Amino acid sequence: MLEPINVSLESLNLITLAPMLIAIAGGLIILIIDLLNGKLHKSLYVMLTILVLFVDFGSVLGLNVNERGFFDVMLIDGISIVSQLMIIGGSMIFIPLALTSKRFHEYSYPEFFALFLFMIAGFQFMVATDNLILIFVGLETASLALYTLIALHNRANSYEAAVKYFTMGALAAGFFAMGSAVVYALTGSVELYKVAEVMATRLNETGLMIAVFGSSVLLLVAFAFKLSLFPFHTWVPDVYEGASAALAGYMSVVPKIAAFVVSIRLFGMYIDLGIEWVRWTILIIAVLTMTLSNIMALVQNDVKRMLAYSSISHAGFIIAALALDTTEGNTAIFLYYALFMFTNLGAFSMLWISRHKKRRFDSRYDHPYEKFAGLIQIMPMGAVIMGLFMFSLAGVPPFSVFWGKVYVMQAAVNAGYIWLAIIMGLNSAIAAYYYMKLVVYMFLKDPVKDVDVVYYNISKPLMAMVGFATVATVAAIFYVQPLVSYIYYMISASGY
Amino acid sequence: MENILSILVFFPAVAGLLGFIVDKESARTYGITVAAIEFLLSLWLWFSFDTSNAGMQFVEMIPLIPDMGISYYLGADGISLFIILMTTLMTLIGMASMGETKNIKNMIVTLLFLEMTMVGVFVALDAIIFYLFWELSLVPMLYIVGAWGGPLRVYAAIKFFLYTFMGSLIMLVGMLFVAYIYHNLTGVWSFAITDWYALVLPVNYQLWLFAAFFIGFAIKVPMFPFHTWIPYAHGQAPTIGSVILAAVLLKMGTYGFVRFSLPMFPDASVLAITPIAVLSLIMIIYTAMIAYAQKDMKQVIAYSSVSHMGIIMLGLFAMNAEGLSGSVFQMLSHGIVSGALFMLVGMIYDRRHTKLMSEFGGIASVMPKFAVIFGIMLMASVGLPLTIGFVGEFLVLLGFYQVSPMMTILAGTSIILGAVYMLRVMKRTFFGPLNNEENKKLKDLNGRETWSLIPLVAIVIWLGVYPKPVLEPIDNSVKALLSFMDEKAITQEAKDMISVAKSSKEAN
Repeated sequence: MLEPINVSLESLNLITLAPMLIAIAGGLIILIIDLLNGKLHKSLYVMLTILVLFVDFGSVLGLNVNERGFFDVMLIDGISIVSQLMIIGGSMIFIPLALTSKRFHEYSYPEFFALFLFMIAGFQFMVATDNLILIFVGLETASLALYTLIALHNRANSYEAAVKYFTMGALAAGFFAMGSAVVYALTGSVELYKVAEVMATRLNETGLMIAVFGSSVLLLVAFAFKLSLFPFHTWVPDVYEGASAALAGYMSVVPKIAAFVVSIRLFGMYIDLGIEWVRWTILIIAVLTMTLSNIMALVQNDVKRMLAYSSISHAGFIIAALALDTTEGNTAIFLYYALFMFTNLGAFSMLWISRHKKRRFDSRYDHPYEKFAGLIQIMPMGAVIMGLFMFSLAGVPPFSVFWGKVYVMQAAVNAGYIWLAIIMGLNSAIAAYYYMKLVVYMFLKDPVKDVDVVYYNISKPLMAMVGFATVATVAAIFYVQPLVSYIYYMISASGY
Repeated sequence: MENILSILVFFPAVAGLLGFIVDKESARTYGITVAAIEFLLSLWLWFSFDTSNAGMQFVEMIPLIPDMGISYYLGADGISLFIILMTTLMTLIGMASMGETKNIKNMIVTLLFLEMTMVGVFVALDAIIFYLFWELSLVPMLYIVGAWGGPLRVYAAIKFFLYTFMGSLIMLVGMLFVAYIYHNLTGVWSFAITDWYALVLPVNYQLWLFAAFFIGFAIKVPMFPFHTWIPYAHGQAPTIGSVILAAVLLKMGTYGFVRFSLPMFPDASVLAITPIAVLSLIMIIYTAMIAYAQKDMKQVIAYSSVSHMGIIMLGLFAMNAEGLSGSVFQMLSHGIVSGALFMLVGMIYDRRHTKLMSEFGGIASVMPKFAVIFGIMLMASVGLPLTIGFVGEFLVLLGFYQVSPMMTILAGTSIILGAVYMLRVMKRTFFGPLNNEENKKLKDLNGRETWSLIPLVAIVIWLGVYPKPVLEPIDNSVKALLSFMDEKAITQEAKDMISVAKSSKEAN
């Protein structure tokens, strides 16, 4: 006779699940409100979303480090707390971009905001576990919501972008599932800490090594898709081009943080086990990613596509820190994204508020360089702010991204990879060219004739967000210290 | 005023921010007033400077990012003191002599920001803070060249920016590596230059690091073969841009060698003497020959300024007090003289809208004041005794003679070559028949122009006759630097090379 299973509520440690449940409940609340009264303004939903995220943020802050919960599936370590905070924080600063002065189709749907919250819950699941199945569930929850958000942008190339992203995402999901299946077949577990234990004891078996090779290649491919690494980055510019600028900015930061956390857990484990070729593969991919996408960014005629390629390059920059497999390296990943987030938010919001209903300057692109020509004469403030973001992205001190770059390069030098630091330096020099190109257009060229107001879509909330991003970009030097020490403490507390 | 250095750095920046609010008509007066106050502040710095103390003075230190070892750390010694004075003086005079330009307000604000970054570079004692000002100085300069320059201005501005940006990124990697070594040895992070001085590095490390810093500094100097950006930058920049570029921005590179390369890597510096001397000789002779071939007056001065930077580089690597003091002195004199020459060319360009020598001839008779001042500056540039140009050049050659008489003789040709191309400018512009109709109506210098040049003429003659008040503090700091290098050097070869004992008194 089977014994009845007794599970006490305390042993489940449900508090570890609370943040995701808050986000999901928030999404449901929004849907219910819509059900009761369907004619409410988007500003209500934006504010509700921010409030839900605020509560979510608070609940993550209150979590204890290094706890497990819900049948030991949830893992709340330093990385998961830091990354959840960044995911929620990033979402909180991106969602007000819905408050544009012009009417946009997607923001009139409350479903947009509900999906947004579900997506965040998905990301949170992804980072707060070391169980391959739950990672998969989180990944798919988030991705499926994101495909829909892109498609809601209701333009022909948005559908194209969504379909492209969906196809690529489905392929990546397939690779991830296959890779996980091989891992499970090898070790009999989907919990990464158990996987590591089993693998450590059997490292000298040749047959096993071949299987490990297979599984890690599959997983690498899956995450190379998600992190937009060479040669699986080709979807990025098209998808960003099709998505609204606000969402493109969001996609260049938040989903990548989640994917990076899983990569640290997975590939950090392989590197810790002493499988050196994983490290080298990642390093090679990193160098190729940052260099090739930089070169591609050089030849773009559209600012948004340039920013898309540049964000691929930034991802390549950061994945190199992962291969170092040191605490500094892992800290660098989060520090870089924390600093990059504000600047990228700023740059994409500037594009977002300069969006026109019809294409004015080019038959294909929304944001060709010509559009910003002579902006200093038309809108001096806008030009200065956009210029600051470009300088920051190029890594000119004292703006925020510079400190991230210094930290990543310092981590590389510390780990003995001076050649890597030099390649990073040279890449920053290449990148300076295309960022400067926009600066040159804005400051040194004369405006195109018959131009009307460039920042057509501006509204008070958007100005506030851009102002916030500007302050965060310029004043980085004053908050880098607490940020570094907090992240470093959290990362080292969870043993990475 | 314990924090006078911070005031010096941030006063122009604050003034620049407020300058956005000042109305267009009074922008120039505002700019000149601010620059004058800044100059007075730097005079105050000189006044309160203890010339007998060779170490860092007015030190300020606030930890900024302790986890990464970065702090806000400023200080000045005899070497930086006079470069700061020159910076504030040239900014003031450049601004005062500036003719009518479009968007004068933007120009004033940009210049004030540029002044902040320049002073910042010369007082920073933390490598990251140094790097911060170093990189930040590119931004206003990019704008000055790109917005007010000639027809190819955008190309010139981008070339300037990318060239120097790339060099400094390699330098940044070098800085990170030094910090890493420091961390390995002591267990703490630090980017403070004074902490780094305490490191004794093995020679192979020194060589690599020397190379990394060299790229950053050499592009800025600009050393042959990294000099290709400068003819474009000078050729396209507006007058004020050329003045600041030649007078101050190029000095950042040579200052970097004094502040970083020499004291931190003495053995590598000694090993680098010959290659650097060869490059400097190429700079001196080759660019002097190019200068001779120019048709455009401004390009002659641009190339002559590269040629003179070669003299400065040679002096830095003489490894003795004469060479180094002469070199630092030459930085000042080159700043003043080439700045003045660019201003003079700018003034004649404002009148005729051409800088081609073939357009002129015999204008000494219509513009006597202009011709006299031009002549004095030209003589100083050539290195005529009793002018400021002589002191530095003589000391450098004297210093380098102890290293290699042969090379010194070659470098000495700079005086002859300089005389050749400069007198050619003089002859073709000022003398001969006045046969171009347009030149007959040329007006001589007006009051503003004259009064902005007179102080420079006074300095050129004063320091040419009596350089002691400037040379002595420089000499003290230079000797301290040399004895420090001597103590720190690990190879016997380097110890033999670095000579501390002799002073440069006899030059007076």
